[in-house]
Amino acid sequence: MSTVAVTDAVKRYDSVAALDGVTMTFRDGEFFGLLGPSGSGKTTLLRAIAGFVTLDRGQVLIDGQDVGGVPVHARNIGMMFQNYALFPHMSVAENVSFGLEVRGRPREEVAQRVKEALAMVRLGGLEQRKPKQLSGGQQQRVALARALVTRPKVLLLDEPLGALDKHLRQEMQVELRRIQRQVGITTIFVTHDQEEALTLSDRIAIFDSGRIIQEGAPMAVYERPVTKFAAGFLGEANFLQGRVTAMEAGDIARIALDIGGEVSCRLTNGQVGQTVLLALRPEKITLAAGGQAGLNALRGKVLDVVFSGNSTTYRIAVGDQVMILFKQNLVQGTVAPGTEVVLSWSPDHLVQVTP
Amino acid sequence: MAVADRRNRGAILALTGPAYLWLTATIFLPLSAMLYCSFLAKSPLVPAPVSYTLRHYEAFVDKSVYQQLMLWSLQMGAIVTICCLVIGYPAALALAKVIKGRWREAMFLMVVLPFWSNALVRTFSWTLVLRPFDLLYSYPAVIVGLVHSYLPYMILTCYISLQAIDDSVIEAARSLGARSGALFRRVVFPMSLPGVLAGSALIFVPAVGSFMEPRILGGAKGATLGMAVEDQFTVTANWPFGAALSFLMLGAVLLICLAVYPAARKRMEGL
Amino acid sequence: MKLGPALLTAHLWLVLAFLYVPIVVMVVLGFNASPLYALPFQFDLVWYRELVGNAKLIDAGIHSVGIAIVNTIIATTFGTMAALAFARYQFRGKTILQLLLFPPVAIPWLVIGTAMLVFFYWIDIKRGLFAILLGHVALSLPYVIVVVGARLATFPRAVEEAAATLGATPFQTFRRVTAPLLAPGVIGGALFAFAVSFDQFVISYFLAPPGVTTLPVEIYGAIRKGFTPEINAISTIIIVVSMGALLLTARFYRFGGER
Repeated sequence: MSTVAVTDAVKRYDSVAALDGVTMTFRDGEFFGLLGPSGSGKTTLLRAIAGFVTLDRGQVLIDGQDVGGVPVHARNIGMMFQNYALFPHMSVAENVSFGLEVRGRPREEVAQRVKEALAMVRLGGLEQRKPKQLSGGQQQRVALARALVTRPKVLLLDEPLGALDKHLRQEMQVELRRIQRQVGITTIFVTHDQEEALTLSDRIAIFDSGRIIQEGAPMAVYERPVTKFAAGFLGEANFLQGRVTAMEAGDIARIALDIGGEVSCRLTNGQVGQTVLLALRPEKITLAAGGQAGLNALRGKVLDVVFSGNSTTYRIAVGDQVMILFKQNLVQGTVAPGTEVVLSWSPDHLVQVTP
Repeated sequence: MAVADRRNRGAILALTGPAYLWLTATIFLPLSAMLYCSFLAKSPLVPAPVSYTLRHYEAFVDKSVYQQLMLWSLQMGAIVTICCLVIGYPAALALAKVIKGRWREAMFLMVVLPFWSNALVRTFSWTLVLRPFDLLYSYPAVIVGLVHSYLPYMILTCYISLQAIDDSVIEAARSLGARSGALFRRVVFPMSLPGVLAGSALIFVPAVGSFMEPRILGGAKGATLGMAVEDQFTVTANWPFGAALSFLMLGAVLLICLAVYPAARKRMEGL
Repeated sequence: MKLGPALLTAHLWLVLAFLYVPIVVMVVLGFNASPLYALPFQFDLVWYRELVGNAKLIDAGIHSVGIAIVNTIIATTFGTMAALAFARYQFRGKTILQLLLFPPVAIPWLVIGTAMLVFFYWIDIKRGLFAILLGHVALSLPYVIVVVGARLATFPRAVEEAAATLGATPFQTFRRVTAPLLAPGVIGGALFAFAVSFDQFVISYFLAPPGVTTLPVEIYGAIRKGFTPEINAISTIIIVVSMGALLLTARFYRFGGER
């Protein structure tokens, strides 16, 4: 099993920097998600690791070795593509055995390993079918078996679940994770679906304009985003802007909000008079019909109510800003639009972000 | 798709080189040579010092017979094109929108097949059909022969265009209240315009230059510019004059295409 | 549009009749005993027998087939290479190159044929089979490039990358993945090239010296002089061969192999 490292990777296309100085280490055996909007560089990085993209500057190291001059077919990687890229003129068995055959493995060994690989993805019995006779989910599994049978050092996934419908996606996510853990292979995957990134990854990195904005464990990145972009890209967030009015013991700052009202939260290096932008996740807010406004409690009016089965989304006018609130439907019934309400939260849930 | 850089340039040259060198040597250089030839005073076959002249082109301007031939040929080309359009478009429409499934592929093949089976032989077959009815060696015979030769072009291009029209667009038009006449006039035909124009271009140009069909089906009567050019190269051996006529013909056709192009471009905006 | 579809379908059948009736008449009369195309119809293979003894026609036939085969090999190879370049690379001048494929198809063959006559004379290529071959390949190239190009457009590029990630060298990738997937398109292009050459009349007409001809040129001469049903016989054979080649193309290009 292997580590992959990228140092200072730069790749330009004309005047656009697809990668603008990316440094990252992927640990042995971890499932790492590269997340970001289209064109943010995540796919370019993946393809640079695979060898399809040559960096203008920087290095790709696999197990400590610089693979810059090594062609794709010699890097011993496994890759899954967005549309599976199965060989249409070969059967399932031939697809899976391809990597072993071009390496010249003996026939009995190939047959045995193909059998094991197909059993691992639970596709035994379909060896002679052609790809176009398989369903999307089955083709996905064949692609996985084909990539893993050669025992590559690292598995690279390029939006592999993009073409599947919702149920199949979730089923495949579970399968993918199970197999990855079983095999223990270092896996890097690209997705623009943040929910998928959160559920599958051991660690994630958020890309924007060729740079990594933030990386870490999913929960850490979600609960403590460092920029407005990161907060807004992963899930939803309310952004409250204000000025520090006082600093108290324990780095607790008192902030007067532009929309009116007062909040308190922990600020490192807070200065009185400083302008700050705070992010607040919608599910961290408590809704009360009527009640007292005060510190970390703002008065507002319900604009819009959207019922989604197990939760309800409220849009609430607070001052001249609209705030969003997710509420788990612990009891039946929702608060009607037009109701005067008080939103409150714990100061621990306010996160300072850079704009 | 890989963007060209120094590594790729060699591959690109190696791959496209042979084909385009061949085309240069056999099409583009010969065309240039013929243009040059059209300015020669004496035919290259005659050993004489080289001198240049415009008199071959002047002959066209002076002698009305050649202008007549040109107009006649252009007119013939236009008639053939229009006939092909009138006959071919409905057939393409039937193929694209009415016939479905396996029948469609089969009938499409049947339409395209004769097109590839040697124009000479097909023209010959028309002589057999027309002769008993005393229709051979006449202008209509030439038209029929040419239409028969070029009809599949029009059907093919119109079919491709019509087939690309999404059925849901037609359904949307109906839901908005369009009846068949308006539907065709305002939705189907405009959207199939690229196919119509492509087919017209593919038919008009060769038809204007044809000489084989006019000779076989028209005999002494149906005289065309194409036949005049053929004569210069086979009978009279007046190559420079033949070259000049060729280029005049090419020029006329190009002018017509250029004249139609802006209007066509406008109409096809957004397609 | 209830009446409409029925009318359109009827029209289509009429068009097909128009396209095929002369051909059918010609084929049938090739089996008729009368040398003057007189009815009543009497089945006889006499004209096919005459054909066997007609040395000129047989020679011309051999020339036609020979040229067509060589033409196919050359045009398919060069055309496929060019199509590959267009599909794989983006480069300055690509559009111009693609536009340059139009003249051979769009310019009247009369003009091209006479131009070749002039040019070859000047660079001292005599009229003959070699000159005819030069012309045929030039006409076939655009068709091959377009047909193979269309096939390449539907080619799933990612499979070549997948093969590379699985450890296949570029040569192995070409041999095991690219070539099998390209085969139907290339074969389609080859059959097109064969049909273009075998049927070609105009270019051959201008570039053929007296005594050495291809089949269409020979037939033209025979028609001008006054013809016998031997022409029907040879024409029928030509039609069968060309249509056969085209049916094969249709099988490979449209229906056969993987879509």
